[in-house]
Amino acid sequence: MDWKTKIASALARDGRTADDDVIEELAHHARAMYDAARADGASGDEAEARVCEQIERWRRDVGRLRRTARRPAAIEPPPASQSSTAGFVQDLRYAFRLLRRQPRFTTLASVTMALGIAATTLLFSVTYGVLIKPLPWPAGDRLVVLKETRGGKPPRFNAFSNAAYLAWRDQAATIDGIAAWSQQTVTLSGQGEPERLRITAATASLFTVLDARPLVGAVFTQADEVASRGNVVVLSEGLWRERFGADPAALGRAAHFDGQPYTIVGVLPDRLAYPDERSRAFVPFHVPPISGNSLSMFNAIAKLRSGVSASQAAAEATGRGRFVADTGMTTMAIFGSTGAVAISATPLKDALTSDVRQPLIVLFAAVGLLLITAAGNVAGLQLARAASRRREIAIRAALGAGSARVVRELLAESVVLGSIGAASGLVLAWLLHRLVPVLLPADFPRVGDLHLDATVIAFSIVVSGVVTIVFGLIPAWRGRRIDLVSSLAEDGNAPAGGGARSRVGRTRLAIMTGQVAIACVLLVGASLLGRSFVALLTADRGYDPSGVLTARLSMPDSLFKPERRYEIAQALLERLSAMPRVSDAAFTSELPLTAGGSTAGLTLRTSSGPIFVQASPRVVSPRVFAALGMRVIAGRGFSADDTQSAAPVAVVNRAFATRYLQGAAVGVKIPMGLGYQDAGVEAEIVGVVDDVRYLASNDATHPEIYYSYQQLRGRLTVPVVTLLVRAQGDPATLAGALRAAVRDADGTLVSEAVMTLEDRVLLGLARPRLYMVLLGGFAAFAIVIAGVGLFAVVSYAVAGRSRELAVRTALGAQASNIVGLVVRQGLTVALSGIVVGLVAAMVLTRSMATFLYGVTPYDAVTFVSVPLALLVVTAIACFVPARRATRLDPLRVLRSS
Amino acid sequence: MGMDALARELKRGSTELLILSLLEERERHGYDLARLIGDRSRGVISFHVASLYPTLYRLEEKQLIEGRWVEKAGQRRRRYYRLTAAGRKTLKSQRTTWQNFFEGLNRVARITTA
Repeated sequence: MDWKTKIASALARDGRTADDDVIEELAHHARAMYDAARADGASGDEAEARVCEQIERWRRDVGRLRRTARRPAAIEPPPASQSSTAGFVQDLRYAFRLLRRQPRFTTLASVTMALGIAATTLLFSVTYGVLIKPLPWPAGDRLVVLKETRGGKPPRFNAFSNAAYLAWRDQAATIDGIAAWSQQTVTLSGQGEPERLRITAATASLFTVLDARPLVGAVFTQADEVASRGNVVVLSEGLWRERFGADPAALGRAAHFDGQPYTIVGVLPDRLAYPDERSRAFVPFHVPPISGNSLSMFNAIAKLRSGVSASQAAAEATGRGRFVADTGMTTMAIFGSTGAVAISATPLKDALTSDVRQPLIVLFAAVGLLLITAAGNVAGLQLARAASRRREIAIRAALGAGSARVVRELLAESVVLGSIGAASGLVLAWLLHRLVPVLLPADFPRVGDLHLDATVIAFSIVVSGVVTIVFGLIPAWRGRRIDLVSSLAEDGNAPAGGGARSRVGRTRLAIMTGQVAIACVLLVGASLLGRSFVALLTADRGYDPSGVLTARLSMPDSLFKPERRYEIAQALLERLSAMPRVSDAAFTSELPLTAGGSTAGLTLRTSSGPIFVQASPRVVSPRVFAALGMRVIAGRGFSADDTQSAAPVAVVNRAFATRYLQGAAVGVKIPMGLGYQDAGVEAEIVGVVDDVRYLASNDATHPEIYYSYQQLRGRLTVPVVTLLVRAQGDPATLAGALRAAVRDADGTLVSEAVMTLEDRVLLGLARPRLYMVLLGGFAAFAIVIAGVGLFAVVSYAVAGRSRELAVRTALGAQASNIVGLVVRQGLTVALSGIVVGLVAAMVLTRSMATFLYGVTPYDAVTFVSVPLALLVVTAIACFVPARRATRLDPLRVLRSS
Repeated sequence: MGMDALARELKRGSTELLILSLLEERERHGYDLARLIGDRSRGVISFHVASLYPTLYRLEEKQLIEGRWVEKAGQRRRRYYRLTAAGRKTLKSQRTTWQNFFEGLNRVARITTA
């Protein structure tokens, strides 16, 4: 039964009529009523009669069956005003209302901007805080870090000798002061739980060089450097608050470091702590006079006289250094050379930040690209809207709006969008900024100087303003002039500017190309860093970090005698080896991946006469090579039988064997336990192990000598050892058992830094990982923007060409032809973007060379896979509109137009 | 006000209340509304389907409800109505008004509401 016709004719009987959709609605009602009646058991005729009765009632009421079409209330344009600024404010208000009516567009555009602004603000905050911001000390720009070399070689550990220090200190003409310092780790006891602290031992001159005034009390003086006066300490503000409740009465009381009492004389503000805020306390350091062959090594900084350059100071120091006493063998041990002294002076800020400067600059440039692509996205969206608003703009123009007026109005929209984006970006940055200290690796320089301060906020506002106006002008300028007649003649729905032929369309395609190019550059950078990180992770460091748990054990001289240490070590090894799942338990005086360490000079008797060598001695337990997975490349490693009663033996590393013995090290005699004791006894080298590297397999290696602790007369002379436990399964699960074993071995012992060897490696890789994660995040963001942009452009083109595509389909075009047509446009944009991006990447990635490992900036895998990845993204972005195009019903499209 | 006028006003007011409360649960089409009013009032409220659509259109005009065409696969399109935020508010205040009205009547005339 055609109820629609029936109702229409019934209503028309009185010469009146109702809207089509009212009739359709009533017809639906009639149909449902008929079906219900039939379901109730009524016959077809009865059911029809009931419905007709209902239709009759509707007919009587036809006057009220009227739906008033509701149109969205037109927005009142602002009245013309005399003052141009007042007009602009009205434009802003108008723009704001317009944007509020298009929440989806507004959200998309402002979220993109907000993310871009937040990322830029955060990175600027870090870059500015680390590289640009003045140092916290009053004369920060006059501070220089001093480094000493002998015969061009840097010392094996620390940076400056007492010889060079004393030669310069008392007669310096270019500096206002020099200070020596070194870092130590001590156990603080007495107030609450014992705690391991990093402290700075420094000459009293450090405080005058830094112009650092104490918060409470006083700093120590030169007289305090001599220990006979009793130990004194200056606490950091943080430590004072945490352990002494910020009580001024703490002055004069004692703090116990490694069991020794230190009288508290003052408190230093955290921001003035040197070398950084991780230094929790300051104790006096005495630079010893030269006596005999000994050299004392430490770090040194100086304050330049005003007007003096760092190089002038370095020249003076080098000049005075020529007259230092000859300390022969010790100099060889420490520097590996007895050549001439040379001193360099580097501005403190540069010295602190040299490692991170290049990566930060690269990341900052990357985030700049990201902001541009985000702003380009807003401009592209605006252009699309400008195109669909051609009629509106044409009408405005027809009513007498000049092009300046139209530009101003379109610009107002960009300004509103930009402000929303900037404001939410700043809020987001503010929220994320608190995470910065957590996200940055612990050893990142100047973390304490990072604040979202006025400079950062001002920068962020200026940048968002500039970006908003520049990218707002593009659509405004493109949208300002319109062919009135054709725009008004077109039907309002036909999107213009979708194709590449119109000016607006061309601008959009250009923006898209730029976005693909930026995504390409960022992706290349991220891929290089990612591959570099993987290469670092899998680098052959000469040992196997998997499956090993490590813990540091500190047994300071003040609390432990060497004999007691020996007992503890022996008991611990027995206990740990007996634990289930443990295959090897061992200890070493120095872990392979801790940089620096002790060094010794010794004379080696060889067939070609005595030679003078420099090497790091290490005291280890027999199973150490197995526990670390180090490779024995010649001879043998230590065995449990290498005890005091057996012949003394030693193992050297490959660097030692090749540098000093042309590879034939086994069988050569070297002094036993040098630096520890028994200097007169000789040990035979019984094996050579492969070199172990700090982080990368191209890191420099140093000659090393290993001694078994069992052959050192029952005395363990090193105060700090690292325990190593190799186990089946996850080694981290043994942490509790290891801690318990350490506690049981000696109640006063605390195991520190209990972590797997793999975690230690990752800790060392924290910076490359951070760079990779950041650039990877930027690249991902850029790809999403480019993908969404491509999708929009192609969808738009499909909508604009639907009539053409419908005609083609009607004339017999296959789905594949239609898809080809649609995809071609997306592909053209993507390909040109990729080409531009690859060329730019070739130029830009060169700046990354210094922090890449295992890949070149022109890595072939990267430069092939990145374009492929972008093409996949393009294909995905084109797929949906292409499929829509093939599903167009030609009849419907052609009829609707 | 004569009795006829009162009855007309009451009926008109109650129809609106009925429609709004039925749409509070979920969106429905016209026939559904007509059927539910019949079912739920157990035939007590004499309700003319003829006045349903004018009421719907009036409510729509007042922006208390919102109609939209819904097309489902294999079906002809139907017009569904749902409550707007303003409609929800009106429903609430109408409920209170009716409640007060009944309470008042009850106090004066001892009419017990069902």
